[in-house]
Amino acid sequence: MKAKLSALHREADHSKPCIFSFHIRKRFEAAKASFELNVSADIRRGVTIVFGPSGAGKTTLLECIAGLLTPNSGRIGVADRILFDSSSRVSVDVRHRRIGYVFQDLALFPHLTVEKNVGYGIRGLAVGDRERKIADVLESFRIANLRHRKPGEISGGERQRVALARSLVTDPCVLLLDEPLAALDATTKAKLIDDLRCWNEAHGIPILYVTHSREEVFALGDRVLMLDAGKIIAEGTPDAVMRR
Amino acid sequence: MDWQSLWLTIRLAALVAASLFLIALPIAYWITYSRWRWKFLAEAVVALPIVLPPTVLGFYLLVALGPRSPLGHLWQALTGHSLVFTFQGLVVGSIIYSLPFAVQPFAASFAAVDSRLIAASATLGASKLRTFLEIVMPLSVSGMVAGVVLSFAHTLGEFGVVLMIGGNIPGVTRTVSIDIYDQVQALNYSSASITAIVLLAISFGLLAFVYALNRKVLAVWLWK
Repeated sequence: MKAKLSALHREADHSKPCIFSFHIRKRFEAAKASFELNVSADIRRGVTIVFGPSGAGKTTLLECIAGLLTPNSGRIGVADRILFDSSSRVSVDVRHRRIGYVFQDLALFPHLTVEKNVGYGIRGLAVGDRERKIADVLESFRIANLRHRKPGEISGGERQRVALARSLVTDPCVLLLDEPLAALDATTKAKLIDDLRCWNEAHGIPILYVTHSREEVFALGDRVLMLDAGKIIAEGTPDAVMRR
Repeated sequence: MDWQSLWLTIRLAALVAASLFLIALPIAYWITYSRWRWKFLAEAVVALPIVLPPTVLGFYLLVALGPRSPLGHLWQALTGHSLVFTFQGLVVGSIIYSLPFAVQPFAASFAAVDSRLIAASATLGASKLRTFLEIVMPLSVSGMVAGVVLSFAHTLGEFGVVLMIGGNIPGVTRTVSIDIYDQVQALNYSSASITAIVLLAISFGLLAFVYALNRKVLAVWLWK
């Protein structure tokens, strides 16, 4: 797995320190309640867990970073690229941010085969390169045998692998995972956590991994941001944060 | 049985359904995804033919397409003949009359596509047009087929609008429903009955097709 993933991402440039930083303020007003997300963090390579209860603002944070929501103010940058800066009115379109996003419900295209789902984000590549990348990533995530099946014809764990492969084949600068393992059984979850760890050792991009599972925090996290009511209330290593 | 009227009606319905497929697509897309606060006014205008008496709509179309209107004048200058009391006039009037029967199923099926799929497509770098063509449209096939079939069926049975802007010219504007009316006026009930049964059978068949689509009996087949 490791060798294959290293080969898959051989084009990635790991020489530069990849720092991803954000300061986001997003306010929602409703008739009877309002919610404000106000968070700042610097994220380094490796898996950073965003941990917190439902309604803490975890998905809102990911959607702001991906460009699916526009923050009221703040700044989002990856290495030397500014993706959003309210002071200079910069807001890179979601299509050009190069941020991988695995949605909570995976959002696989139900009418496309596994192969077409995975290849959807790399349509601009030359046919040969595209086919090679698809073949590599399908093999890496052990789903090559499913390439002609549709998402409705495969298991939950396999769908999860397809969603990860679809995001990673585009060589994203940052990967956002919104409770991707929530619906899986313990064995499948353990295998996928192992695969994700291997992948990240090979690729080494910042990953923001949203979860409310303590088990996943310890299994995956290099660092934890604890979010509550739209604010980061603690950050540090899994041991230090989860002991609170 | 007046086969000429039946053939003319089928030609009219097919042309209207094909034109509406192209016209209703952008309108339904805009209605589904626009955040314009006054969008409801446009929705109401599109839906007007559902509630407006066909004679009222026909009257306005007669005025709007007549040689004294700017549109009618332009048409006459370009083609040398009037738009009213012609087959082309019938097509234009029928498109307007059947517009909501295409736009509403289209818009409903676009709105039913999971917004997460559209977001996923955007995060994978796809443009709005590509997302629409490759994600939204294939997932809305049953709604789009329903819209086209309903437009076809609605045009088959229209009477008031056709009579107002087309009159009753055999081979040019006399549709099946006008033929039935003529037969009844002439007390030729047996001929009217045969034509009515044919129209009933076609309309029933088309509606059964639409309901089968909605129950996903045919949608499963269409996806393969």
